[in-house]
Amino acid sequence: MRYAYFPGCTLSASAQDYDMSFRWVCRYLGIELQEVRDWVCCGACSARAVSRLLSVAMPAITLSHAKEEGFDQLVAPCLISSSRMKAANVELETDTDLRKKVNEVLEGGYRETVKVLHPLEVFLNDVGLDFLGEKVEKRLPGLKVACYYGCNLTRPPRVSRFDNTEYPMSMDHMLQSVGLETLDWAYKTECCGVSMTLTRADMVVHLTHKILTAAKEVGADVIAVCCPLCQANLDMRQNQIAEKYGERFDIPVFYFTQLLGIIYGAYSGELGLNRLIVSPQKALENYGIL
Amino acid sequence: MMKIQLTKESRKLSREIQALTGENVNECYQCRKCSVGCPAAYEMSLKPHEMMRALQLGMENEVFQSGIIWACLSCETCNTRCPQDINIVRVIDGLRELVMSGRVDYFNPYPEIPAMHRLFLKLVERYGRTYETGLAFILNLKMVDPFKDIDLVWPMLTKRRLKLLPQKSGGVKELRRVVAKIRAIEGES
Repeated sequence: MRYAYFPGCTLSASAQDYDMSFRWVCRYLGIELQEVRDWVCCGACSARAVSRLLSVAMPAITLSHAKEEGFDQLVAPCLISSSRMKAANVELETDTDLRKKVNEVLEGGYRETVKVLHPLEVFLNDVGLDFLGEKVEKRLPGLKVACYYGCNLTRPPRVSRFDNTEYPMSMDHMLQSVGLETLDWAYKTECCGVSMTLTRADMVVHLTHKILTAAKEVGADVIAVCCPLCQANLDMRQNQIAEKYGERFDIPVFYFTQLLGIIYGAYSGELGLNRLIVSPQKALENYGIL
Repeated sequence: MMKIQLTKESRKLSREIQALTGENVNECYQCRKCSVGCPAAYEMSLKPHEMMRALQLGMENEVFQSGIIWACLSCETCNTRCPQDINIVRVIDGLRELVMSGRVDYFNPYPEIPAMHRLFLKLVERYGRTYETGLAFILNLKMVDPFKDIDLVWPMLTKRRLKLLPQKSGGVKELRRVVAKIRAIEGES
């Protein structure tokens, strides 16, 4: 299995632990990733606020590079990236005027679609749960995981084309296949506040407080996420939440790839576990990992 | 009872949105599913279904001055649940586009949010990639709130989550040429 890889801006800066752990797990499972040459920002939440054409053209630059390098499939672990790139593909498929304009502004054009995947799609659909289960090296019995999917893995369904929109189970099934216990809870797809972290941190504190409360109520030891913005918002502001609401959570927020890495026997340094703001020490101390 | 009269003038905004986004706001029949599911509704003086109604009636002032278009998180819950399959976030994107391009100019209770989008794209145009640390730092200075989230700096630094210097993409020149062509097409400054 071979994919073009778009780490994106966040995985190259504040979320290097996601990049490290994803690459590690891919190597372990025999998945080959090739970073796209000269990739550029996907436009994230900002390009779409300025110009629809720009919001499609930015992802198309990187996708056209992947195509030039002979790839039909690209994997993007950041949910903002993967959803903006998927949305660009859908808009180009459905709007011929827009496609004409994009091919006008892009030097080499972007004529053949490169399919965009999130790592969960790769692990679930291409690798398969049986194989994921066979490769287990280490067990974490009793660790209760709340899988948090965020907005853009499943929404909107015409773009994501993956999993159940309102109550996704892909990450649950994947972590169950490697022996973890996952929880039923109501906040799997509630928004964490995304880029408001830069402008209206109070909204992020309000929203993540609700999510953490819901996770705690069902007895979660840890939360697993699949997006760097979800991770940062849920992990980084737990002190501020304690100050505002007088309640301390101290729930570590792992990338699902870090949990997979632990189970497949990686060292904590290879997975960037020391980069988590809420230390995972307490949650993992019984298993002799840290 | 007050009579609502739809005129050519009152349909101007909804037509503009349709031209920009392909979405027809008149399809909304006010079921309120969008507002019920909206995680940011608590912050909005005009809820999403009220915004749709205001758009149908051409109430431009109310739509823009409420700031709803900036409080929206683009979480796509409303789109997903709309029984009329109206892409409400795209409608909001279209409204944001009208503001960002200077075609409309109203008081905005959330000035920091469009400022963030502008700065984000300015830095991306310079480096080809997001410069997270610079974005947060410059934005706080611009908004005269230099100590915003100062308590996060130390943990972020010690956990190696802050990259102080920007990274330049090899594709930045290509990106700049694409942006320049888009500006020429869209007639922006």
